[in-house]
This record gives sequence, structure tokens and C-alpha cells, in this order.
Amino acid sequence: MSKSHAENEVLLKVDHLKQYFKMGKSELKAVDDVSFEIRRGEVFGLVGESGCGKTTTGRSIIKLYDITGGNVYFKGDRIAAGTRSYDDRIKELKAEAKASGRNVSDEIAALKKERAAARYDHKHADPKEVTQIQMIFQDPIASLNPRMTVREIIAEGLMIQGIKDKKFIDEKVYEVLEMVGLVREHAGRYPHEFSGGQRQRIGIARAIIMKPELIIADEPISALDVSIQAQVINLLNDLRASMNLTILFIAHDLSVVKYFSDRIGVMYFGKMVEMADSDELFEHPLHPYTKSLLSAIPLPDPHYEKRRRRIVYKPDEVHDYSREQPQLREVRPGHLVYCNTEEFERYQKEAGAAGGSASAKKA
Amino acid sequence: MDKILDVKNLRISFRTNNGTVKAVRDINLELGKGETLAIVGESGSGKSVTAKAMLGILAPNSIIENGEIVYDGKDLLKLSEEEFHDYRGNRISMIFQDPMSSLNPIMRIGKQLTEAMILNGKANQRAAKKELSEKTRLLTKAMLGAASEGGAITSAQVNSLTTQFKEISSKAIRLSREFGRAYQAAAECRDELALYITDIKKDDPKSLVKEMKETAGKLSKVFSPYVVEEGNTSYKGKAETFKGLASAYRKQDQADELTAAMKDLKDELERQIPQEKPDFFAMAYYLMKQPGAQVHQKDIKALNDKTQAYLEEHFLKEFIQATAAGLEYSSKTSLKAKKAALDALKKALPVYEKEKLDKGECERTAASLIHLVDQSIDRLALKKENLPYVFGTSLHSAIKKYFEGIPHNRKEEKRFANDQAKYEKNAAKGRDIGKPVPALLVDLDLEHSNMIRIVKNLSDLYESQTAQNAKADYNEMAREMIHHLYQQETKVVHKVTKGMAKHHAIELMEEVGIAEARKRYNQFPFEFSGGMRQRIVIAIALAANPDILICDEPTTALDVTIQSQILELINKLKEERKLSIIFITHDLGVVANMADRIAVMYAGKIVEYGTADEIFYEPAHPYTWALLSSMPDLDTKEKLEAIPGTPPNMIHPPNGDAFAARNKYAMEIDFEEQPPMFEITPTHHAATWLLHPNAPKVEPPKIVTDRIERMRKLEVDANE
Repeated sequence: MSKSHAENEVLLKVDHLKQYFKMGKSELKAVDDVSFEIRRGEVFGLVGESGCGKTTTGRSIIKLYDITGGNVYFKGDRIAAGTRSYDDRIKELKAEAKASGRNVSDEIAALKKERAAARYDHKHADPKEVTQIQMIFQDPIASLNPRMTVREIIAEGLMIQGIKDKKFIDEKVYEVLEMVGLVREHAGRYPHEFSGGQRQRIGIARAIIMKPELIIADEPISALDVSIQAQVINLLNDLRASMNLTILFIAHDLSVVKYFSDRIGVMYFGKMVEMADSDELFEHPLHPYTKSLLSAIPLPDPHYEKRRRRIVYKPDEVHDYSREQPQLREVRPGHLVYCNTEEFERYQKEAGAAGGSASAKKA
Repeated sequence: MDKILDVKNLRISFRTNNGTVKAVRDINLELGKGETLAIVGESGSGKSVTAKAMLGILAPNSIIENGEIVYDGKDLLKLSEEEFHDYRGNRISMIFQDPMSSLNPIMRIGKQLTEAMILNGKANQRAAKKELSEKTRLLTKAMLGAASEGGAITSAQVNSLTTQFKEISSKAIRLSREFGRAYQAAAECRDELALYITDIKKDDPKSLVKEMKETAGKLSKVFSPYVVEEGNTSYKGKAETFKGLASAYRKQDQADELTAAMKDLKDELERQIPQEKPDFFAMAYYLMKQPGAQVHQKDIKALNDKTQAYLEEHFLKEFIQATAAGLEYSSKTSLKAKKAALDALKKALPVYEKEKLDKGECERTAASLIHLVDQSIDRLALKKENLPYVFGTSLHSAIKKYFEGIPHNRKEEKRFANDQAKYEKNAAKGRDIGKPVPALLVDLDLEHSNMIRIVKNLSDLYESQTAQNAKADYNEMAREMIHHLYQQETKVVHKVTKGMAKHHAIELMEEVGIAEARKRYNQFPFEFSGGMRQRIVIAIALAANPDILICDEPTTALDVTIQSQILELINKLKEERKLSIIFITHDLGVVANMADRIAVMYAGKIVEYGTADEIFYEPAHPYTWALLSSMPDLDTKEKLEAIPGTPPNMIHPPNGDAFAARNKYAMEIDFEEQPPMFEITPTHHAATWLLHPNAPKVEPPKIVTDRIERMRKLEVDANE
């Protein structure tokens, strides 16, 4: 599946995204220098344990937060930008000037200009374009206003866009309700009258009424029952086919992510540690954190479960970053791992060996 | 398999404005000792309601219509709130889904952990005291009975033996108490010193001095012949040095000297604190018989061997013989009484089987039956049989419900008719006053059949028991009994002080895998991450050493790695503490790791139960298939088979199989008649008409069969 998307245009490009939160005097680096691309028609899964910054990444992309650093490009246009990297560079240059006496005013002026451009882009992103990114939230109860009817909830986006034609809006609402497997009559009801799965369907309807191209699904099934989870996944799959959607799928249930995504990024403490096609990632995980994550997946097979041993990830013991800082490197085509040179060579060997044995098996 | 908990015909509903919601409908479960039973199902299937009933924490609008939950010879459903305090948390504990909502946000973790321990400590002591005196009394009585029948022992012997036993145990308790105090003080001092050594560089001297003063106060309490001997001058010297330095400690630069002194003292304590506990019962006897004997030695193992051998030779042999005779006598009299009770039960059965019951007759017969059954219980048996113990309460409540139900039903029907008429009158005028609440009727047929069942079950049990002539090893039983009495003695001595509770709490925190437990002890719940919070909740649940742990979706709120850690922890604790676990979840992947047996629930009924292997490799009920096929695994590529629709409305549960409406394999009969439990293997049962001999052959969905095939192949590969 992934191959077919490889030639498609890049729909969303996240470039060195940084999102820091103030915590008193210190700063919490919720997302620290994360870059990835999503091509049109693709489902990109983002996994990691709670608190690793998956949700923050999603929310930063849709501009729920003002990002600290980096850029977000949607269809080639910059929709969000942070200024931290420019600030830091300017500070550095000033310090250098003080130390060496070199004239840096030109460089600083250029940087300031860039910073102003970033600020302008961030503020004046085209609203029509930004509405093409929509979000589905984790908790369907918390994300629906209990005092609004389903019609009002779903139509709110259209109203904000300035559409006043009641009839048109109603038609649209009925259309999306039917698309997500609800019926017209549901439009007049309130959220509390629905079951968990139906509420999540309302959340999805609210997202797709804007005819989005990119949907950010933030743990859309974590709060649901197993049987309902399958309904929602199937619905998202159908919508994806019929509307040619691109989806950023954030979850911690790895079986579901594997089933649903074309490519997967693994996050750990605000960093992207590994990124690859989903089959590739599950067959040849390279980063120790990914391995530990995969070893923790429970499967409905008692005998396998008796044998399964969880690998514990201890970053201090596995990595030695005292000499060289790690960065994201491409170990195999399309398979990126966060590592330094020494690890890079080791991973390459590992990947080569694994790939070799796999191809030998196939032959 | 030893049954530890027995749920029989449980039926629970909830009273709501729209009518009664039938949440649990006639389920039967049993939990074996040391076993994990998983209950799986969608939300609203009645899993949690069943678990809450076991703990007596159902919502106030619940009605327990029928059934028994028998634990340790008591029907939990018929306990009063006061009596329940002995069980809830103490014997049966529960872990809930959301750790944050089961912790008090404004109370330090340490306080939350120790609170119950201190409260329960006294109660446990009292209970053990009662059990000890009760069992000794019964035993003496049985021994005397055996003597009067002219066994190997005479009543004079019995009297001397039991008086001796009582004397020895009271002396042993005294000795053990003295030892316990000193040992506890020494252990606490040692641990506190270790803490100061690690923290001295980080902590503020002022606060540390305050804490150290407390420790210094304890240092003089450690003297005991078996811990630190009174004449140990090297200890005393080190303690004095520590006291002097600690009280003079003002600045950080004095820290090194103080640390050295503390290390010295700690090492000394570690050398002195014994690894083993002296056997006080044996020692008490030894001291009693040889008053001048020298027992003040450090080698506790040798001491134990010596005193135990002495006790065995001079006292225990005879005592065991007497106990065995007593036990034999008690079980024989009980058997005789059982035969009498069996006759009476058989005679009484027609009274309850009558078409029209007579209240007076029922009650009279019940009273005489209960008296007979009560006498037939062998109270010296350590393993309690459930049925005879709960016979009285069950029969009483069934009779009461039946006869109170007759006028109640009449009243309810009248009220409903009135309300209905009023509603129709208003509706005709166009006014809407809300539909009348439906009549809440007592199911008289059910109560009637309950009475018959209660009598019949017990008579069946007694029949089988009186028929078989098993030869028991009374000597072995006597040893068990004496061991049991020992245990009660230690429990009587075991007093929980604040310091001990703290010590125990920290041990528990370390056991559940919390690093730096001493520091964490003083933190608030919000300072912990989700997984750590769940660990705290588990520690609290284990604080009272329960037999049964109920886990209600303990990992649903956690992510994969943490989930797997918590599951491993629960499994580890189960092994170590021989816990029996009821594990409630909707995630079958989680269950595969944990469960020995699985019960699948749907719409308040158990639709399939069997061992984990049977459920995962040979599922038989369409609902189990649906559950399995609706979750993807790592190799799933095809479209998931979601279960269409939602669970049925439990105010009006469907007549036939509740799952029929969402089941693509449903047959006509599924909509008409409730399928019975079909037996597939002795351990595997499923309630679906597909297992009827006349049913068409149906294969599970492809996604399930594929997966099972894959799992089988994987298994073969792994074995190779």
C-alpha cells in the first residue's frame, strides 16, 4: 500500500517542530525537534507511551498551540512557524561578536527578517487552507458540547465559514450523518442520548463536514469498547477510501496502528526515535525503544503470551551519547532511526542482516 | 481444585425510573484457589456489577433478586454492613480502572497506605484471639468426648494436656511480644539509619536532626536476649557516639563524621538482628520444664532445633495423639448428625414442594432443619464446606421473601393499575405526566424453586458424604490443626504500630516496584505517573493480605508498556502470595496473558466459559467469535468484522439468546428460546443453539480461524 503513495505530493511537512511549555522557571520540552512528512492518501501512525508528545504534535499542527520553533507546511504553504531557532541563533551571534569582535550585524539583520516572515506566516495563515485540516479527539464525551444538538455541533464549522443558507447546511449535516452511519433523525438530539461509539461517529462527522484533506485522529478509539473500536476503525477506513483522506493517526494501541497505518513514527520523550513503513517497522525494529514497545503488545494467544518476554528500555544503559549527539538518520531506504554514527553503523549491519535473511527466506 | 469463592444463580437488577434494569441474570461462577478467572465482555454486560456484588458495594438502587456468593462459609450477599468490614479489603480486595479516582488527592501516599493497616491491625488481633480460644475450646470438648468413649486417652490426660497447652501458649505469646518489640525497633533503626546515610548530603540539617532524635529514642528499645543483648557494650558505645553527634549536628561539614558513626551503628545492628525467629512455643515449654535452663544464645537455629526436639518428645507426641482422637471423634459425631439431618431434609422436602405453601409449616420445618444442620457441621474442620454454613440464612431469606412477596405483589399491582389509569386519563386530556413506573414484582415461582433447591442441594451433598467411607489421616489433620493454632498465636502477638505500618508500607511499595519508596512515601498522588499510581493502588489493595483480588479493568487507562508492566506485576504477586484473582476486562489480548479460565459475559449472562486455551483456540459462541474478530492483531490485513448494533436494552431483555439480534449466525430458535449451557468438554461450556445436535454446522469467521491456524503454526515452530 505504501508504495502507491510514495510518488504522491507531500501534503503535510513538519520541519524541526518544537513545542515547549513553561513550567515555572524551567521549560518542558513536550516536542523537541520532530520532523516528518505525510504524503497525500497516506495514513501516518504516531505511537509512543503517554506523555511522549504525540498529542502535542497533533495539536501543534492544527495550531491549537503557538509552536515554539520549526515550521509546519501544508500543501507547500507555511501555516505555522516558531521563532525560537532564530532567537537562539541571534543570541549566539551576539555572544560570538562580543568574544571575537567580528561584525555580525548583517547576519543578525537577515535573521531578524526571516523571523519577521515566520511571524507573519504564522499569524496570516490562509484560514481556508487551515480548515482542510480537521481533528478527531480522544474522548467523545469531553469533546462534544452537551448543550448543543448534534446538528449545531456538526454545522458549527460551516457557520464559522460564513455559510448562512439553512437549507444547505441541513442538507450537508444529513449527508455526513449518513456517511458516518447515523440517521437524519439523530440531528435533533443531544450528545448524552448516544452511546460511546455513536458519539465518536458524531466527532468524525464534525471533522469531515469541512471536506478536509488531512484528518488528525488523536486516539479516536482508546476510550471505546473492543467491539465498537472495530466499528470506528472500519468507518475511518471507508471514509479514507471514499473521500481520499490523509490521516495522522495517533494511538498507543500498536495492533490497531499496525493494522491501520502505512507508515509509523515512534516517539519517545518528545523525540522521534524511529520512522518506517509499518511492515518494515514491525519486522525489523532497530531502535531499542521500538523493540521494547513491540515486545509489550499483548496478543490473544495464551501460548504465545506465556513465551513473550518484555524487553526493558533503559536509555542510560543502551546509548552512549557522551561523545556524539544523535540525530535522525536513514538506515535503510525509508527507514529512519535516531542514532549517532557508531549506532548508525551497527543498525545498518543489523538491518542488512535482517533484510538478507528475509529475502533468503522469500527465495 | 479447591473452591475459594462460589457464585450461584446470581441475579441483580437496578431500580430506575423507566423500570428495572436486569443487569445480571442467573450467573454461576467458581473461583479456585490460586487461580485467575477472567470475565470478558462489552461495557454494560454486567461484569463490574458482579464484582461489586462480591464486595457489597452495589449502588443503593440495586436489588439482589436471587443467588448466593459463598466465601469461607458465609453468603456475602446476606452479610450486614458491619459484618462486611471483616471481608471487604481484608479478605477480598479490589483494584479499579482509574487509579486517580481511587486515591485521595489531598492525602499523602504513606498515610493512605498505612491508614487501613493500623485500623485493621487491632481487629485482626481480636479475631485471632477469638479464633484461638474458640478452636481450643472445641478441641478440648472433642477430646473429652473421645475420652468418654474410651479411646486411647483418658479425660484426666486430656485435662492436663489442654491446661498445659494453654499455659504454654500464653507464655509463648508473652515471649514473642517481647521479642517482637525489640526486633521491630532494631529493624526500624537500621532502615532509618540507611535512609539518613543516603540523604544526609541533600537534606537540610535542621529537619534531619529532628528525625534523628526520634531514631535515637528508639535505640534503647532494641534490647532482648535474641536481638541485641543487654550486655553488648560495643553497641551501646556506638549508639552513644551517634546520639552525641546527631544532637550536635548543625552544618553540612559535620556530615562526614556523622555518616561514619551511622554506618558503624548500622553495621552493628545488621550483625545483631537475627535472620530467623525463635520458635517461642517450643521455647516456652522448654523454659517451663527446665526453669533454670540457659537459652540466651545467639544461634537461634540450634536453639530452635533443641527446644523443638524437646517439645516433640515430651509434649507434642501425646498432644497430637489426643488431637487426632478429638478430630476423629468430632468428624464421627458430625457424620452421625449428618445422617440424622439427611433424614430430616428428605422428610422436609415435600413440605416445600407443595403447590400451595403454608407459612407456619414452612417456618417450623425450617427452624428444626436449621437446628439439625447446624449441629451436623464439623466445626473443627479447617476447610469449611459452603452449603451447610449458609443453609440457614439462605432458607430463611427465601421463605421470608416468598411470604412477604405475596402482599407486596398485590400492593404493587394495585399501585401500577392506579398509576396507569391516572396516566391514561391525563393522556386523554392531552396532558403528559410521564409514564407510570412499572410494577416491581417479586418473582414468587423463583423464590419457591429456591426453597426447594436449597433443601435439595444440601440433602444431595449429605447423601454423597454419608455414602462414601473415606479414611482420613487424623494424625496429619492434627498437625495441621496445631499449625493453625500456632498461626493464630502469632497473629495475636502481631500488633501494628505506626512505625510498623510505615515499615510494612515501604516494603509493599518496593514489592510493587516503586523505586525510592522511602521518599515516595511522603508524596501526594499527583506526583506519580499513571503506572506508578496504579502500583500504589495495588499496594493498598494488598496491604491487608487478601485471599482474593478483584481487578476491574486495571490497565484500560494505561498505555502498552505500562500495561504490560502492571500485568507482569499482578502475575508476580499472584505467584508469590498465592492470590486468587478475578480479572475483569474487555481486551482479550490482555486476558491471554493472565487468565487460567475465562468467562465471556453478554447482557448479564455468561455465554461461554472454559480454560484460556479453549476460549482462544476453540471458541464456540458467536459472541466470542465476534469479540475475537473485532480486534486486529499484528498480522491482520482484512477488514475487521465489527459487531453491528449495540447491546440490547436490559429493561426488556430479549426472550431468546440476547446476542441473536447482532448475530449473523442466529437461527429462528435463537429469537424464541434461551439456549442452555451445552457442555463441550468438562471444563468448556457455551450457551448457543449452534451446539445442539440438530443445528447446522457453522464455521467461525475466517479472520478467527485464520488466526487460530497461525497461532497453532507459531506454537509448532516454537516447539521445534
